[in-house]
Amino acid sequence: MISVDKITKTFKDKTALHNITFEAKKGEIIGFLGPNGAGKTTTMRIILGYLTPTSGSVKINGLNPGEDRMRVLSAVGYLPENNPLYPEMKVKEYLRFISSVKKEENIDDIVVDVSLEDVLNTKIEELSRGYKQRVGLAAALCGNPEILILDEPTSGLDPIEQEKIRNLIKKLSKNKTIIFSTHILSEIEDVADKVIIIHRGNKVFDGFKPKKKGSVETLFKKVVKDHV
Amino acid sequence: MFKLFKKEFDFYLNNAVGYIVVILFAVFVNFLYVKDIFLNGSVSMKSFFGIVPWLFLIFIPALTMRAFSEEKRLNTIEVLLTLPVSEMQIVVSKFFAHLVLVMIALLLTFSLPVSFYYLANIYLPEAAVGYGGAILMGASFIAVTQYFSSLTKNQIVSFLSSLVVLFILLGISSDLLSTVLPKLVQDMLIYFSPIYHFQNFAKGILDLRSIYYFVSITVLFLFLTVVNLEKRN
Repeated sequence: MISVDKITKTFKDKTALHNITFEAKKGEIIGFLGPNGAGKTTTMRIILGYLTPTSGSVKINGLNPGEDRMRVLSAVGYLPENNPLYPEMKVKEYLRFISSVKKEENIDDIVVDVSLEDVLNTKIEELSRGYKQRVGLAAALCGNPEILILDEPTSGLDPIEQEKIRNLIKKLSKNKTIIFSTHILSEIEDVADKVIIIHRGNKVFDGFKPKKKGSVETLFKKVVKDHV
Repeated sequence: MFKLFKKEFDFYLNNAVGYIVVILFAVFVNFLYVKDIFLNGSVSMKSFFGIVPWLFLIFIPALTMRAFSEEKRLNTIEVLLTLPVSEMQIVVSKFFAHLVLVMIALLLTFSLPVSFYYLANIYLPEAAVGYGGAILMGASFIAVTQYFSSLTKNQIVSFLSSLVVLFILLGISSDLLSTVLPKLVQDMLIYFSPIYHFQNFAKGILDLRSIYYFVSITVLFLFLTVVNLEKRN
């Protein structure tokens, strides 16, 4: 379970996040929605303990990521924005490396789940964007984490690849808490249980997604317009 | 931590860069030393160890410049720092991977003391102390370069900044400086020179002050690198 309590983050004179509070329970898929620069990545980095909040606190399974970094990060799988990977490594080497750091040597199940069997011995730099994204997702799954934090997991992918990744996220959600960010409205409708809309560093909506098709777009436009 | 070390070391095993830099070091050091043997008319490891600091000046920044710069450029540093490993484990494992490479490079020069032992019966323990000093000096140079590499995304900037700092440290003990600076100032500054401390090892002297100097530089710059990685806000 993730509990974010009134976090504010200031970089020099710029406030990137202001008083953000929300909770994510086991089995929930939470979609972070917001335009570029809204504060989605900063929020995710604070949850992971990669950044420290200027004020407020985060608890992951009751632990503070700043104080219990190792235990928190053992329970979290993370796909960073733009999916940074080591280009010179083979897929198998990379996944083995991430797995071994997370004290889990077996990568076979993950490879099957993410359909990477055909490219295991291929260098990451030789992969298509879709495959690279799957490698990033597979790395996030290494060590069987309870919590998945995925920063724009379908960014830059073609519609078919996007669909595959969305289906995978849905499949994974049964036993995990998943937070993913996107600025694609249809993705939220398709995948998320709950929506958190962040605009200019402020949380402007937090609730279950509307069930009617196209209503997330209406909701997004309305809340953003109200906060301009 | 071994996994991190292995990942870093494997990069050099699977990449031409590591082989090229290590072999070039061995070729240069052997060439520069052997070409002067006949001019000197005597065989001693002291002149060999006289070359080592100046070759390390180029070789170690060239080898280590990518340590954090490349991680920052690719943003893989975010992957590393969101794994359940501490900043210190990351810094130390990278440090040891580079140190092992430096030791391999030095190992490629072992033919010199071994052949001189059979040809001219040189005193091997003296050479061993010299090699020990070279490893300590190499460790301090790696730590300095790793620190500068943690400050920038650009490998060239990392290379040049560590080169300049190491050159200044090496230059403190040069004769040229004694013509510019008052003797008293140079006498004080010389204690900061790696060459001054390495000379003891080259002579086969195990001086605790020199060991302390190299260990201090290494620990200080590794610590500064850890602090710099922690300061990511």
